[in-house]
Amino acid sequence: MLHQATMLRIGDRIAITYHRRSVLIWCAVTVLLLSLSIATLMFGKLGISPAELVDVVRGQASATTEFALQRVRGPRLFIAILAGAAFGISGALFQNVTRNPLGSPDVLGLSAGAGAGVAAASLLPFNMPTPLGALAGAGIAIGLVTVATGSGLSSTAKVIIAGIAVAAMATAVTQFVVTATLRDEASRLAAYLVGSLNSRDIGQVAIIAVTLLVAAPVLVWLAPRLELMELGDELTTALGGKASATRTQAVLLSLVLAAMAVAVAGPIAFIALMSPHAARMLTQTSGPHLIGSALTGALLLVLADLAVQQIPIFEGLPAGVLTAGFGGIFLGYLLLNFFKKGQS
Amino acid sequence: MRRSLITVALAVALAATCILSLFLGSRPNGITDVAAVLVGNGDDYLTSVVDSRIPRTIMGVIVGAALAVSGTLIQGITRNPLGEPGILGIGVGASASVVTGTAILGALGATSTMVFAMLGAVVAVMIVLGLGGRSQARGVVPLVLAGAVVSAVLYAYINAMVLLKPGVFDSYRFWMVGSLAGVQLEHLTKLFIPLIVGTLLALGVARSMNALALGDETAISLGFNVGRTRLVGIIAAALLAAVATAIAGPISFVGLAVPHIIFALFGEDFRWRIPAAILGGALALVAADILARTLIRPQELMVGIITAFIGAPFLLVAVRRGAVMQ
Amino acid sequence: MTALATGLAATKLSVGYGAQPVLSDLDFTVPEGRFTEVIGPNGCGKSTLVKSLSRVLATQPGMVHFQGTPLQKLRPKHLAQRIALLPQHPVVPEGVTVGGLIARGRYPYHSPLRQWSVDDPAAIEQALEDTGMTAFAQFPVAQLSGGQRQRAWLAMVLAQQTQYVLLDEPTSFLDIAHQIEVLRLCRSITANGRTVLAVLHDLNQAARYADQLVVMHQGRIVAQGAADEILTTQLITEVFGLEAMIGSDPWSGSPMVVPVAD
Repeated sequence: MLHQATMLRIGDRIAITYHRRSVLIWCAVTVLLLSLSIATLMFGKLGISPAELVDVVRGQASATTEFALQRVRGPRLFIAILAGAAFGISGALFQNVTRNPLGSPDVLGLSAGAGAGVAAASLLPFNMPTPLGALAGAGIAIGLVTVATGSGLSSTAKVIIAGIAVAAMATAVTQFVVTATLRDEASRLAAYLVGSLNSRDIGQVAIIAVTLLVAAPVLVWLAPRLELMELGDELTTALGGKASATRTQAVLLSLVLAAMAVAVAGPIAFIALMSPHAARMLTQTSGPHLIGSALTGALLLVLADLAVQQIPIFEGLPAGVLTAGFGGIFLGYLLLNFFKKGQS
Repeated sequence: MRRSLITVALAVALAATCILSLFLGSRPNGITDVAAVLVGNGDDYLTSVVDSRIPRTIMGVIVGAALAVSGTLIQGITRNPLGEPGILGIGVGASASVVTGTAILGALGATSTMVFAMLGAVVAVMIVLGLGGRSQARGVVPLVLAGAVVSAVLYAYINAMVLLKPGVFDSYRFWMVGSLAGVQLEHLTKLFIPLIVGTLLALGVARSMNALALGDETAISLGFNVGRTRLVGIIAAALLAAVATAIAGPISFVGLAVPHIIFALFGEDFRWRIPAAILGGALALVAADILARTLIRPQELMVGIITAFIGAPFLLVAVRRGAVMQ
Repeated sequence: MTALATGLAATKLSVGYGAQPVLSDLDFTVPEGRFTEVIGPNGCGKSTLVKSLSRVLATQPGMVHFQGTPLQKLRPKHLAQRIALLPQHPVVPEGVTVGGLIARGRYPYHSPLRQWSVDDPAAIEQALEDTGMTAFAQFPVAQLSGGQRQRAWLAMVLAQQTQYVLLDEPTSFLDIAHQIEVLRLCRSITANGRTVLAVLHDLNQAARYADQLVVMHQGRIVAQGAADEILTTQLITEVFGLEAMIGSDPWSGSPMVVPVAD
């Protein structure tokens, strides 16, 4: 074979390239993700023992087990997996089309905007669905960043600084709502500020699952052009890939995925930023890393949520506090590398 | 001449705002009632209300002035139009340090709060400059990014501490956003020395800052000690930011927006900009605090929310105007 | 206007960024099957011309035609199978290998579910061979030297298997040996019937290697033809503002511009 990539061919009509190393790593990450998921279900109060898990699979679980699975552990785990995957894909899309290794919904203020949207929606006199509030907030955030940068989203530096400003405003909005609303409401919203997976329900799982299902075919359709986008706008256009249209579509999809993830899990920081980097480091190949980012995103969020449930010093913290802390350190590490190369 | 006029106008506006700050609050009062309290014959309840507004206004003046001067200094030292104690993580650094101190030692007095805030501010400045200053690329982005990173990590840390020990940190929930509610003048006696030292250093370093603006090489060839100017400037900026944070918590964007406006009004001369920043910063923060008290009567907002909401767009405008090259 | 029916041509092409026109009323048909080089002083519109011809820069409808059809009316992939452009600053994706990079040149022949066409392996192998990069197929592009990297990019453009190959300053940032290597490669591409249009800075290299020169000045084409026919001292003075004499290359005898008066 001339180059590392291998071809999966089904007849003459379907042919998809993949890298053998990447597939192996995806499998390893998936196994790890599954083990952590089982650990999440098993440990702690209301934990489900292996024997009970087998019972569940057989369809003969006890009422307590069913309750724990359907109301407590199950939704929380699925939200962690699905929202983590959505954040990961969202970050991968964004970093790819803006060719900005630090571009991600959190750096851009998009997550904070979605969080503010959720908070603001609770102030409205009528009942506005959470996802709509998140979408509106995220849309306003990215709109502000786009207007402020003047030149679309192509300048790394401008996007990042505008993003910091928008995130600050969005946080102010959320804090305003937290202070302005009643105290018990406020404690619920406080979790929205950093993102927590406490007390999720099956409806929220459905929201994020449907979002990912709808996004999947769009991603398949976009993926080949995303590979081209890595070569720069001019080459993308020269190769017939419609650079600006691709960027708009990818940014919109990224926005929807991030907003929906925020709607169900809160503005969990830095998963979207870290996942594509982690995927790239693991597979060491080029490309948009959509699958890899989805898997690592899910893994990271499940890991963070497991940590706040089971590790004593983190116990009771929202998962978002952990990801913000470790993600921030990771971002610092990226920056050091970035600056060493002399780019900015 | 023009600068003198603007200075006088700023001073008048500040005085007017301070008086307004005594009259306006989360409870609407009649003008005559408050005036009666001020001359010493109002009813007891109102007297206590107005009495609480006096320290609040004075502290607003001090915090605003300190933040604006700190921002002006940082913008000059880093030649970075986006340098600001909030954006560069100094306020959050000070808060994280105070939270740590409280977690270890229990509730802190004003002096130890100040010591911790100062330590935290200096460490945060050093980390941010160390992280962002490594870049080969000149320009504003590395510093701002480094500030964002440090802020993110420290915010997570503060959040974790506050959530893990809700009993110890109940009062910090408001302080973390930046609020002037409940400040007491007694605290000032402990903060007085760093405040005066910081202000004097800032005024003293103004002339050298003008030279620094010409670039290191030119400043050196003009006979200025560039390293010392930077050091003194950073110490003054950190002192002032730490005082402000110790009083009111991390308040963002005053240190960004005010120096920008002052620059537009006064030009590039630091000997004008630093005194003007004192007036402008005080004016901005007292005005923001009035808004915080009156916007959602009868409740109060934290002033940090107002400054972020009004100040952040300045950053957007700066980006749009091309303060960020590339 | 009959020239419109064949090949790649610009008619009354005007392009401007803001109020400043970069190209004004320019008529140009790319000479088919030749190696043509566009030269001119900085800011004369060379790159703009090449980008307009490859629709990387959007022009007004009807200003650029391919085989008689306005570029805007043709499907992007259809055009990309016929016209290739190597921009001045392409971005190297992180972690990509030479083979992976070249494979991306095959995009115009793919669809989302069919990321492969029967001609892919042959096209990629041919491109590697033409550029002498076969041994480097598995190499990460980031580890290549400047000259090798440029050859990898040229290989990507060749794998696109287009009739027209447009190159925007392909020799910038290369040392002299690699510059010559790229020029020889361009000439060999045209040997099998393809058309190469390249923007170049070095007058003498252009005169030596190209079949045709296009000289641009202030958004217009001021001369076009074989080097020994059009390169005159008067033209050099007029276009570059440089006092020069025209000698001849001691090896090939092609015209050589030598600055005088100092």
